[in-house]
Amino acid sequence: MPKLNESELLAIWMQGTLTAEQQQQFEKLCTENAEFASQVEVANQTSLLAQDYPAAEVPNWNRNASFDYQAPPKWWQWQGLPAFSSALSIVAILLVFSGFEASVENGKVTFGFQSTNTDVEQIVAQRLAEFKSEQNEALSHYAMSLREQQLDASTQLTKYLLASSRQERKEDFGELIKFINEQRNDDQIFYTRQLNQLQNAIYQGPNDKPWLPINNDTNLQD
Amino acid sequence: MFEKSDEQLIASALKGSKRAWLNLIKRYESQVFNYGIRMTGTREDALDLMQEVFISVFRNLSHYRGEGSFKGWLFKIAHYRCIEFYRRKKPNQALEDSPEIESADPCLESSMVTSQNANQLVNAMQHLPLAQKAVIELKFFGQFTFEEIAEQLGISSNTAKSRMYSALSKLKNLLEVEYA
Repeated sequence: MPKLNESELLAIWMQGTLTAEQQQQFEKLCTENAEFASQVEVANQTSLLAQDYPAAEVPNWNRNASFDYQAPPKWWQWQGLPAFSSALSIVAILLVFSGFEASVENGKVTFGFQSTNTDVEQIVAQRLAEFKSEQNEALSHYAMSLREQQLDASTQLTKYLLASSRQERKEDFGELIKFINEQRNDDQIFYTRQLNQLQNAIYQGPNDKPWLPINNDTNLQD
Repeated sequence: MFEKSDEQLIASALKGSKRAWLNLIKRYESQVFNYGIRMTGTREDALDLMQEVFISVFRNLSHYRGEGSFKGWLFKIAHYRCIEFYRRKKPNQALEDSPEIESADPCLESSMVTSQNANQLVNAMQHLPLAQKAVIELKFFGQFTFEEIAEQLGISSNTAKSRMYSALSKLKNLLEVEYA
């Protein structure tokens, strides 16, 4: 164990925590070192005097003055309230400028910013565009089918017209041929009658043929 | 009836209990007052010092974390107040220096001390430098360990021991003069 110096040894002795080895060292120092021995004596004497020291009575003094208690402020007197109010105001201004919106829909409160509305508008516009294209496609389909129907109808009408005109023409030609045949029959009958009359006129005399000129009787007879 | 502990009284005082604070003062005012007498040498200065100490203690009460004894913390503050007191009284005198003999007049207080020998010790202490006087005071009257003294004075334990050794050397001479 390292050798302690006088002050340390004295301090340990004063605290009453000397070990056996330190005790030996202490006693040796006390016998060999007069100065150290006198230090021990003074420490002993001082300790005894301190124990004998009668405590002076405390005079009356204003003890209440030392109680400088300041009650903590109530919540409404909170020092940070103005700062908190300012902060809330700033937040409110920011919300206004950022387009914050709160909406109640079907019992649900929804908070959002304008950017969200823009997104919704974009989605709506996209849906509308899809719907428009679907409608255009359906319309084009409808127009095409309608055109096909019209084409069919026109074809059928044309066929009908062509067919009916052919029939009519056939009938007309038939009628014409019939008429012509009738005319020819009539003409033949007329000419026959004429020829018969002429024959009769020839064979019966001139008086019987008043329609003929007299000069031509000879020719006729010839 | 059980006495409330220091910590309980402190907690109540911090909540605004004047009664708890006055109880705490009652518990330690005698020790602080007598500390003041031994450190300053006069009752008037001791009274002023005691008031300053308790005002300072109350203002700093919320900072007391319960690390170590309240008494130790209280005497640490008392020591700081004592240093300020000395600086006000003798702004040009270093704390390590011995006071001039005529600067203190402990005989004025002789009437208050009934024990003549103890009075002589206190008289002799007035001639010690403040740093050494504080060690003697805390060790012999405050009954603190050297570690506690070192913590209160803001020095190392070895410094406290060497100061004690030097103080005892001076006291020996002073007491010899007193007895002579």
